[in-house]
Amino acid sequence: MWRKKSAPDQAPGTLHQRETPDKASIDLTKRKWISRVGLGAILVGIGGQAYALIRALVPNVLYEDPQRFKVGTLDQFGEGAKFIEDKRVFIFRQKNTLHCISATCTHLGCTVKMERLNQAKRVTVRGREIDEQVEFACPCHGSKYYGDGTNYSGPAPRPLAHYKLELAPEDGQLIVDTSQTVSQDFRLTV
Amino acid sequence: MATRFPALARLKKGRETWKQIKWTWLPESNREAGDSVVRNFLLHWFPAKVTRQSLSWNYSFWLGTISAVLFFILIVTGIPLMFLYVPSVERAYLSVKDLEFKVSFGWFLRGLHRVSAHLMVAAVFLHMVRVFLAGAYKNGTAANQNRQLNWIIGVALLLFTLLLSFTGYLLPCDQLAYWAITVGTNIASSAPLVGEKMRFFLLGGHTIDQNTLIRFYVLHCFFLPMGVLLLFSYHMWRVRKDGGLACVDQLSLEQKKEGAQPIKSKTYSLLGITSGRTVHVETSIIDEDKHTVASSPNLTRRLLVATLATLAVAALLTILFHAPLEEAANPSVTPNPAKAPWYFLWLQELVTDTTFTIAGITINGAFIGGILLPGVLVLAAIVWPYLDKSSVRAVGVWMATERRKQNIVFLIVVAAILILTIVGTYLRGPYWNFYWPWQSWPTIPRHF
Repeated sequence: MWRKKSAPDQAPGTLHQRETPDKASIDLTKRKWISRVGLGAILVGIGGQAYALIRALVPNVLYEDPQRFKVGTLDQFGEGAKFIEDKRVFIFRQKNTLHCISATCTHLGCTVKMERLNQAKRVTVRGREIDEQVEFACPCHGSKYYGDGTNYSGPAPRPLAHYKLELAPEDGQLIVDTSQTVSQDFRLTV
Repeated sequence: MATRFPALARLKKGRETWKQIKWTWLPESNREAGDSVVRNFLLHWFPAKVTRQSLSWNYSFWLGTISAVLFFILIVTGIPLMFLYVPSVERAYLSVKDLEFKVSFGWFLRGLHRVSAHLMVAAVFLHMVRVFLAGAYKNGTAANQNRQLNWIIGVALLLFTLLLSFTGYLLPCDQLAYWAITVGTNIASSAPLVGEKMRFFLLGGHTIDQNTLIRFYVLHCFFLPMGVLLLFSYHMWRVRKDGGLACVDQLSLEQKKEGAQPIKSKTYSLLGITSGRTVHVETSIIDEDKHTVASSPNLTRRLLVATLATLAVAALLTILFHAPLEEAANPSVTPNPAKAPWYFLWLQELVTDTTFTIAGITINGAFIGGILLPGVLVLAAIVWPYLDKSSVRAVGVWMATERRKQNIVFLIVVAAILILTIVGTYLRGPYWNFYWPWQSWPTIPRHF
């Protein structure tokens, strides 16, 4: 680098006279090029390995519970609501229809609690009047939901998720598929 | 001599080494006092002399020192805890339970670690409040000061302290831990675009499980403490480079105003290698002898008093207030109410109150109260020193008239945070409903 400064300043006939300015600048370009390649190699080397290190921390295999699971035969679900504790879902049965509401609050993911109402409450939800038996409330930040999962108070931004229900052909058990959210009107008729 | 009595020579050498580690408590001369700083490894980061102002208890309240002492208590108690705690979902809760009930003095180790963590959050926050109110992030007249940068390092240290607390309370795997992490990581996931990916990366999956626990464990025991150590070293180095505490700048200003005769600055070149002078040995104070005392023993003594007091208070609180351990984590039952530790309750209040619907689009309070507002606060803190245009007369002066307006704004923000914290702590009951302290909470069945 020091040559860069001295080269143009040198008057002809001094110590560096053998180095014409042309040669010096060629040398300089070469040096610059080589140092850039070196620097680039270091950056690519570090960057690539950093990517490998961080990528290794993103799991490729998960040992989590499956998102589609059986919750029992139909005779285990009487009229009304049942909470499947370890799966965090509510199963509702009204005569021969069933539907499933998630217990995960849409605000920040706490498990909502179901409050059974002493007497049916008439509320207008989504333009319809319904008599609801239960409501949901979240202990973490006080969000409140109607019996069909529609949020009406507190910080929750949207209704509780509804999941797809199906019957297992082999043993007639009810299957919940939490990977598939469905509309609030979804009903499984049995 | 040495060849005739090798044992004597060895003894002398040993004594020299020992001298480099210990220092004279009561130096008999200025020379001895200066020597103890220059020759001693533990004291090498102190200046040989300090102003009386910067030693005063009620300028800085020694809050930075107290924070540092608490951090070292946390390291010292954290290491044995690492030997006794098992970071696996099956055994984490049980190993904490063992610590609490079976390990000799386990309860004390865990309690002291927990109390110190709480105190550290408080001390670091108060330190920040002090620095702001005293305008101590401002540069004085000395060359090469960059106190703004040190303020930003300080903000980063506060965030690291909060992250350390956050990662720390997942580890017992009790109910508090599980739901705090649920809420915390869902706040992360409410960030636009990258939120879901960030949550996946933090948890190491979709649910809080073994991957999450080991991630938080490594963050808590290695990455974050290392980060704090590095930032802390830089923080202290900057304090020295900036000429010590900000109140010193005021002293030199006053002296210049009085028209005291300038004395030759003490400067040392780096053996002629560079032309620059090392700033911290340059005297900014004109009449040095009148205002300064030797660091050893004046600074070291106060440092030890602050250390002893901090340790005593932390140990006493540990004995008085037992560290709670809730029931083992249960993903299906959220405690009612589910409360974060006190220093996050203002955030819990914020995320509760900030879900808005604008033009038919509902924005989750998790984003507004959990990311946007805290983000704005941190950003404001970072740029504030650059916006503060008050004069050098307000450097290191508590509640300077010139800075009255900005101090009031700052105090309003601090008060808002404190009020939200108090509401969250004392006035929120089941379902996060509002209850006055004299109102009793309704009894709610634990299960459905």
